[in-house]
Amino acid sequence: MAEAGRIPVPLRLCRGCRQFVRIENESCDFCGGDLAALEAAHAEGVAEIRAVTAALRAAMAAKGGGEAGA
Amino acid sequence: MIVERADLSLPVRYSGLDDILKRVPVSVVWEITLACDLACQHCGSRAGRRRRDELSTEEALDLVDQIAELGARSVGLIGGEAYLRKDWLQIIAAIRSAGMECDLQTGGRNLTDERVAQAAAAGLNAVGISIDGIGATHDRLRGVVGSYEMALTAMRNVRAHGLEVGVNTQINARTLHELRDLMEIIIEAGCHNWQLAITTAMGNAADHADMLLQPWQMMEVLPLLAELASEGRERGLFLQPASNIGYFGPHESRLRNVMNEEIHFHGCNAGDTVMGIEADGTIKSCPGLPSPYAGGNIRDRRLRDIWENAEPMAFNRRRTVEDLWGYCRTCYYAETCLAGCTWTAHALMGRAGNNPMCHHRALDFDARGLRERLVKVKDAEGRSFDHGEFEIVVEAAVREALVADG
Repeated sequence: MAEAGRIPVPLRLCRGCRQFVRIENESCDFCGGDLAALEAAHAEGVAEIRAVTAALRAAMAAKGGGEAGA
Repeated sequence: MIVERADLSLPVRYSGLDDILKRVPVSVVWEITLACDLACQHCGSRAGRRRRDELSTEEALDLVDQIAELGARSVGLIGGEAYLRKDWLQIIAAIRSAGMECDLQTGGRNLTDERVAQAAAAGLNAVGISIDGIGATHDRLRGVVGSYEMALTAMRNVRAHGLEVGVNTQINARTLHELRDLMEIIIEAGCHNWQLAITTAMGNAADHADMLLQPWQMMEVLPLLAELASEGRERGLFLQPASNIGYFGPHESRLRNVMNEEIHFHGCNAGDTVMGIEADGTIKSCPGLPSPYAGGNIRDRRLRDIWENAEPMAFNRRRTVEDLWGYCRTCYYAETCLAGCTWTAHALMGRAGNNPMCHHRALDFDARGLRERLVKVKDAEGRSFDHGEFEIVVEAAVREALVADG
């Protein structure tokens, strides 16, 4: 059996300054931001974009369907 | 690059944690001949003539079986120029028969329609064609007038036969400012994969120090590549930075984003999930590394024995922060990065563990009004995969003079 390779040491992305920081950190070593709060704000933003995209797609589908049926 | 293997849309050469734990050589890069029809100014192996003692067809086919036994998923054929080996189609067919994917990395000078047709029939999956710059820039680097047009023709030939085609580009002082225009050409040509690497000071490149980028130029290279990666992704071009491009800084996520913004550089993976093979059967943990990293030769030992037991193959999994030196030793990212690309560090500094070609490092120096400059202090000897030696000079950062318009 082969000896295992080196297990990578993972880092965490700061959603404030986009630097990677140590995974155990609570605040960013580069910008000082609160990592959990920034992550939550980011997740909220992503959810908002997804909702808008879904609504747009639905509207386009409805318009396309209406035209097809006209 | 480490990714979640559950995502089946990723190329098979991408490795996952399970591959590291089992130490599967997921991606094998095999120089099947050193014969070459180009004369590249940056060629690390100084390809041209074939090696005196390249593997016979019988040995090569046996090696294919041994590679498959180790669980490899992808074999990339390089040279020299792989198609100059008479039995290259047999090798491709054997790799495919053994259940592995096979790609060809080529300069494309003589990758004729007929050759592509034969390779496709043998089962070749993909072709990566080297295009470094536009027109004369490429021709000069590749040492053959007209080689740029030949590469574009090869690309068309590959596409015509339905094979996946990608482009490989060297980033150096001569090509850096053409990358954006080159991306347009690549997209227009219908390519979806663009692999970029910084020219490493090995072989012929060590003889052309003026071609090499300086450490402080990472402050230009990384933002540019991150920008091109984002733009390319939106237009269907997947930019793949080689392991010698990085590391960290504010563009890391954008540069290495493969469907996940949290992906980042994890350190050199030579000998863990990557294997290199020279045309004479020498086994290395990475195709670019010089001879001290050779684990043995398949004429003397079975491949599995070399892969699992040869000490030179184990340097990566033995490496700790204690092995680092210079700036890298105390860097914020030391534990994860472990000084980046071993090949680049060794070629520049004569030993691994301190890699000046780093964005985070350049930014750190710049914040203190400083920059690092490499000065060659020893020439390479002129052998395949040899290198010179460089010293790092720390000097005051030179700011571009801003000229007010009007």
